Formats: sequence, C-alpha cells, structure tokens
Amino acid sequence: MSGHGPKPEGFRTIPTWEVAKQPAERPRKPAAPHPATKKTLRELGIVEVPDEHKIQVALERLKEQIKERRSYMLAMESCVKCGLCQENCHTFLGTRDPDDSPVGRADLIRKVWKRYFTVQGRLFGKLVGAEDLTLETLQKWYAYFYHCTECRRCGHVCPFGIDTCEVTMLGRQVLFWLGMIPALHADTDVAILKSGNHMKLTKAGAIDTLEFLSDEIEEERGFRVEFPVDKPDSDIVYVPSSADFMLNPDTLKGAALFFEYIGANWTILSTMTEAGNFGFLSDQYRVQRELYRRLLEGAKQLGAKKIIWGECGHGWRAAKLYMRTMADMNNWWHIPVVHIHDEIATYIATNQLELDPSRIPQPATLHDPCNYARACGHTDNMRIIIKACVSDFREMQPNREKNFCCGGGSGVLFDDPEMYPMRIRFSQKKAEQVRATGVADGAEPGILCAPCSICKAQLYPMVDEHELNVEVKGLLDLVGKALVFRGKERLGGTNNEKNQ
Amino acid sequence: MAYFIGTILPYITVAIFLGGLTWHLWRWTAARIPHFIALSPFPKSWAGSVGFIVWQILLFWNILKFDRRLWIGAWPMHVAIGAILGGHILGIYTLGLQFHMIFPYAISEALSESLSDLLGKTIGVIFVAAAAYLLYRRFAYDRVAAISAPSDYLHLLLLLIIGGIGVYMRFVPGASLHYDEARHFLAGLFLFRPEPLPDNVFFLLHFLFVQILMIIFPFSKLMHPFGMLWNRWVVNRPYEEPAMGIPGAQIVAPAGVIYEDSGRTIRVEHWPRFPVKGV
Amino acid sequence: MPYIEVAGKKIEVDEDGFIQDPSLWDEEVAKFLAKGEQVEELTEDHWKVVRYLKDYYEKHGIAPMIRKLCKDTGFSLKQIYELFPTGPAKGACKIAGLPKPTGCV
Repeated sequence: MSGHGPKPEGFRTIPTWEVAKQPAERPRKPAAPHPATKKTLRELGIVEVPDEHKIQVALERLKEQIKERRSYMLAMESCVKCGLCQENCHTFLGTRDPDDSPVGRADLIRKVWKRYFTVQGRLFGKLVGAEDLTLETLQKWYAYFYHCTECRRCGHVCPFGIDTCEVTMLGRQVLFWLGMIPALHADTDVAILKSGNHMKLTKAGAIDTLEFLSDEIEEERGFRVEFPVDKPDSDIVYVPSSADFMLNPDTLKGAALFFEYIGANWTILSTMTEAGNFGFLSDQYRVQRELYRRLLEGAKQLGAKKIIWGECGHGWRAAKLYMRTMADMNNWWHIPVVHIHDEIATYIATNQLELDPSRIPQPATLHDPCNYARACGHTDNMRIIIKACVSDFREMQPNREKNFCCGGGSGVLFDDPEMYPMRIRFSQKKAEQVRATGVADGAEPGILCAPCSICKAQLYPMVDEHELNVEVKGLLDLVGKALVFRGKERLGGTNNEKNQ
Repeated sequence: MAYFIGTILPYITVAIFLGGLTWHLWRWTAARIPHFIALSPFPKSWAGSVGFIVWQILLFWNILKFDRRLWIGAWPMHVAIGAILGGHILGIYTLGLQFHMIFPYAISEALSESLSDLLGKTIGVIFVAAAAYLLYRRFAYDRVAAISAPSDYLHLLLLLIIGGIGVYMRFVPGASLHYDEARHFLAGLFLFRPEPLPDNVFFLLHFLFVQILMIIFPFSKLMHPFGMLWNRWVVNRPYEEPAMGIPGAQIVAPAGVIYEDSGRTIRVEHWPRFPVKGV
Repeated sequence: MPYIEVAGKKIEVDEDGFIQDPSLWDEEVAKFLAKGEQVEELTEDHWKVVRYLKDYYEKHGIAPMIRKLCKDTGFSLKQIYELFPTGPAKGACKIAGLPKPTGCV
C-alpha cells in the first residue's frame, strides 16, 4: 500500500539469540537523509558554512558546547567502551553497523574531542582513539546523528547512565550551525517559525478541520461537541498532538470527548497548535524556544490556568524537561503544564469516568513511546487508561522503560530512497515484539496503541512493510471510543472506521 | 634506575595523579546542568536517588540486567580491585593483622596472617581471570573490537600485568615480599623520608607499573568511577511533578489523591488553589 | 533547485518533486506531475480529488485532513490509494500543486 521503495538487502527477521553471534560491519557510505535546500536555509536565517571553514567552525562550536554542558562533557570522558549499549540499541540490532550503535555514534565526536581538547589525544593520537576532524567525518556525523532516534535506551542501560541522546543533540546542533540539516527537519523548523506548528496549519484550516470533526462526532455519537479555538477566559489550553489535524483525527476527537465529559472550560491555541517540537530535534537554541514563547504568551493572553499537553512523545519530553528552564519559568506554579494521560488516569483511578471496554473487542497491545517511558516516567498511567478502555489487553515484552524504539523517533521519518529502507531496519525489533504478543494473528486487525505522533507516523507504513495485521491507534482514540455519555449519545450512524 | 623509580618517580606520580584528578573534576563541575534531563527510574527523593546509585555501584545492576556476558567479567574484576586496594592498605599498614584487629577474640594473629595470604591469593586469581576474560571478550566480539581503540586493550593489559606480578609474588615463595619491608618503604615515602627500594625485582616492577597506571589514570577512561557519580547526578535527580486537577471542570477528581506512576508521585489538587508563597 | 519544463514554462520543484510556486500550477503541470506519481492518465475521479484539493488549499492555506478529503469527495481511503498509488499526502497533493507536508506525517 505504501510502495515507497524496495526492502533492504539481506532483510529478514532475526531472532534475538542469534543476533549476538553476528559480525558487525561498517558500510562504505552510510545512508544519509536529503539535505535542506539553500532556500530553506535562508528562511531559517542560516548560511551553510563553506567547506574550507567547516572544520574550524565545527571545532569552535564543539568546544564551546561541550565545555558548557556537563552531560556532553561526561559523555566524552566517561565511556569505557564496554559495548553494553550496542545490543540494546534498535539501530544497531537492525543494521549491525558499529557506527550506528550508541558508543560508535558518540565516538564520532569523542574521537575529535580527544584529538583536539584532551592531553592524551594531543600526545598520543590514534593510540587513544583520537582522530582528526575531516569533511568525511562531518558527513558521517550528518548521516549517523540522523539515524539516532534519541530514544535514550542507551542511557537507560548504560552502567554510568551516559546519555548518548545528548551526544546526538550536540551533533545535530553543531551541524545545524554548519548548515548541514536534513530537508525534513529544516522545512519543519521553518514551518514552526512561521506558523507555530509543523504543518504550516493556518487558523482558517484549523477551524475548518475542527468543524469537520464536530460533524463527525455528531454523526457517530449523536451529540455535538464544539472545539473552541482561542476562546478567552478559558481555564485550560489544550495542545493537540502533532499531525492530529492532518492524519490522526480520532486522537483529537478523543480529547474533545474527554473534556466534554468532565465539562472542562478548554480551548485550543491557534498560535501553537501542535504538541510536537521539531526544534528540539534540530535546533534547540532558537526554534525550540520560539515555540514555548508562543505557547506561554498565548496561554497568558487567554488567561489560562493550566496547559494540558496532548499525546506527543518528544513534544512532551521537551516541554516537561526543557520548557521550565528555557522559558525562565522557575517553578510550575505560574502556569503548570501536565499531560492529558495523567489527568485521565487520575479520573479513571478514582472511578470518575464511565467507560465501556466492550466497544473495543479486538486484542490490543501498547507500545511505550521512548520519550514517555524513559524520560518522563509515564508508563503506568497509560496502563490504567488502556486497561479500562479495551477488553483484551496484552503487554509487549520488554515493556515500559526497557521497551525498544519504534524506529522513527526524533524525526527519522525520511522518505527518500536511501533512508526509507533504513527505517524498515530500525523498526525490525519493534515488529518482532508486536508479533510475539499475538495481536496480529487474528482474522480481524488487532490494535497497536502508540500514543505518540511520530510513532504513529512511523508505524503506519511500517506495519505494512513488516506485514503485521494491526491498526495503529492512539490512546485518546480508545478513550474517546469507550467513554459512555449516558442519556446523551446515540451510537450508530456512519461507521468511519473504514475511512481511517 | 631503581633510585629513580623508588625515590623520585613516586612524588611525580602522586603530583600528576592528584593534579590531573583535580583538574578534570573541576572541569566537569564547571560545566552546567541547564535542563532537567531525568532518566528512568525516577527517584522521588534524594535518599531514593542515592540509594539507586549505590545499588548500581554495588551490584553493577544495569550490566546484570542487560548484558550478562559482560557482567561475569566486569563485576568480579571490580569487586576484586576493591578488595585488593583495601587489602593493600589495611594489610600493609597492619602487617597482615587486619582481621585480628577487627575481630580480636575470634581471629588470632596467626590466623589473620594466613587469612590475609589466602584471600590475597584467591582474589588475585579472580582479578587476573576476570581481566583476562574481558580482554579476550574485547578481541573475540566483533562489535566490541570495532569500537575499541588500542588504548582500550592496553589498559586491560596493564591491569593484567600488575595483577599478574602480584599473584606471582603471592604464589612463588622466592618472589614475595614481607609486609614489613613494604610498609617500611612506603612509610618512608609518605613521610618524605624516602628509603631505598627493597631488593626484590618483582616489587620494583609491580611498583613501576602501578605508577604508570596512576600517571595515566586522570587522562584516560579510568576516570569512570568519578564519571559515573558525576553523570548519575545529572540524570537521576528527583523531580517534582505539578499537581493534577483540571480547573473549571464540572467533574473533579478528589483532591489529595496520590498514586505512583513509575516512581513519580501524582497528586491531585483542587482549583482555585490558595496563593502560593513566593510566586 | 531542480526545474521541470511543462508546455514551455520552467517551474521550480524541490527534491521530492513538489512545485514551489502554487500560482504556476495548471492542468498541464498536473498531468506532468501525475506521470511521476505512477498515475498514467488523469480520469474524472482524479480531477475531482485534485480540484477539491486545490480549492481547499486556496481557501484555507493548507491541505485538508485526509478523512475530510475522503468524505467530501465520496471516495474511501482505499479508493484514494487506488487512484493515487503514492498516497493522498504525497501523490494527490503533489499533483494538485500543494506544498509538501512537513512534520510528523
């Protein structure tokens, strides 16, 4: 159905116990995403540094960044090359390329750091694994740092807790300043700066789409739910998860149904309509911050008391861990930011919501998005919700913070012929996990619940490529479906499932 | 030569070791932690955080969970290193009578000496075996060899040499050195009244290689014990969650409800809340 | 920036083939782009979708939600994929001269 390209050579599902015996090989030229055009770079306000100056600039930026942040500094100096992270990283398991494992990826920068900025590197060079920075190395950075999905599984398993995701962010930031950015990220960054969301969604487009969703709910459930946009004197601002307006309408509908059920005074902000933040994935200094500025200003103007985040993985992690410090908000008391799953889970845990799990009879499994599980401690609340909403819930193994990445995180959603087969490799481990739960075995498609927009965007084509008989849904979709509006709803009407 | 190794080099070594260590730790501490990049598990309090870190250190818990084949080499080796260092300090200082001093009524002086000897032998052998296994692993596993620099192998080789000489000195009667002589020599160094080296070529070599290790220590990955603590401080700090409770909603969850979610404490508050001091 | 030549006009496209200036779009351009999207000939059904997309974009400045596209044109998602094998976002939007969708899509 997707028809995007051929499967990579040598592709087959490899059982994990065989994996340890396999050799590791470096490809001659790693697959790299399509770079951004000059026009896009101009719109971002950066100029690609000419080749003859790239190394100088890269070294200066690298030194300044590493000296400034402890997580970068320690990642450079603390690694003992034990290799534990390799077999626990989905990119390595899919590609067997040692540079594609966390230690190898970090080494791409570590070798350069050692060579120029440490005593042992300057004295002993290759003996201690120090290498000069060349344009070829920069090209490797460009390729490999956009293979990493910033899932932090490496940080979770590392005995020292070294977070190679930080190294990836460092690499991407330096590459951004050099002007080496993939087209996908650069275009999305431009969209963020222009419109406050990833899709260049305009207010008119948003309002029209939301009216359409209100019509749909009326057809399906028999009562009308309005989606307020920029409503003044709202108590809460809801930030819909990314791509809800284009691809995942059920998620937005689920959120609206929840707010309708509890009678909340809510609104959507038109200047920041997506929970995701691609700035977090490419340029943290400017683009990520810009989005928060828009949100906080808009929320203040509407007089909101709380911001509720939709189900977006990296967006939530970026907001929870970074917004406070980026927006000079010293504490949460000014305007607390919480996640909608937490709120729903508190309602379910105290029996405030009436849910009917028999409406969702298919077997369902939950994919713990990396950013929720490893960065935000956000795992049991999803289970409280999903167990109350579906009748046949099956856990994946491993799960929670040991879960493997879907393979698409941090915007590794490239479509070009070089990178698309890599995505299939990266999601190989995930496909194995889903198969093992048995939800794909029945005649009817099972449900793969992935409460994160990038996971959904990755898994929609990947379940086809790996031939899994599952439907990818968000968690709010299931909540919306299972909520019982006594005395108000009349179920039936056009069944819109087939259209999704 | 022996004079240089025994009298002058030790002071240079300690200066480089302490100086390098301080410089690196200062450099690490000078780098900021601008954002709260917490990583699972999410301890609720500082006590939980410290407990988690201590648990990791004592058992190498992450390695045990995620790579058993590494654990069977790494954990015994590190435990052996700890025991060896402790044994050297206590044993040499007390001339082998440390067990007698800890349990004066249960263990006699003679028993203490033979225990010290036996433990030294056993732990020495474990250390050498584990280090050899790790070195073998670095060669045999393709994926680990691909990311190893020559210095990674050399570090292990150095440890093997030091341990090997030590074990040799323990097992071969002619090669060993009595605690007395070692203590006399080391005391001289500590008190800045250096004595000549004992007449034992193995001790000389052991001493030399240990000094090489100490010199390269601050400038290599051997800083990882400190790296571990400094890094865990960044990612395993307690994090306060804002309270749940939707303002302006007609259905509200009861206030004060607390539940756990993967280590986070979720509490519910009602709106409007009382003004918070200091805001 | 690569160019395509259609009926004597030179139109700028990005590396994926999406035209950069929507005002230069016309039916000839659509036919040209369709060939690259595995659509040999644009039938009435194709034109219905393309015109709907173009109208919506002109009114709202953004591509419509996929489900709304399905509903308003009366085709199911499966039928849209049959008409445009590369999909509604990449295939149909490209042929209609809309910009490439960015972000988590």
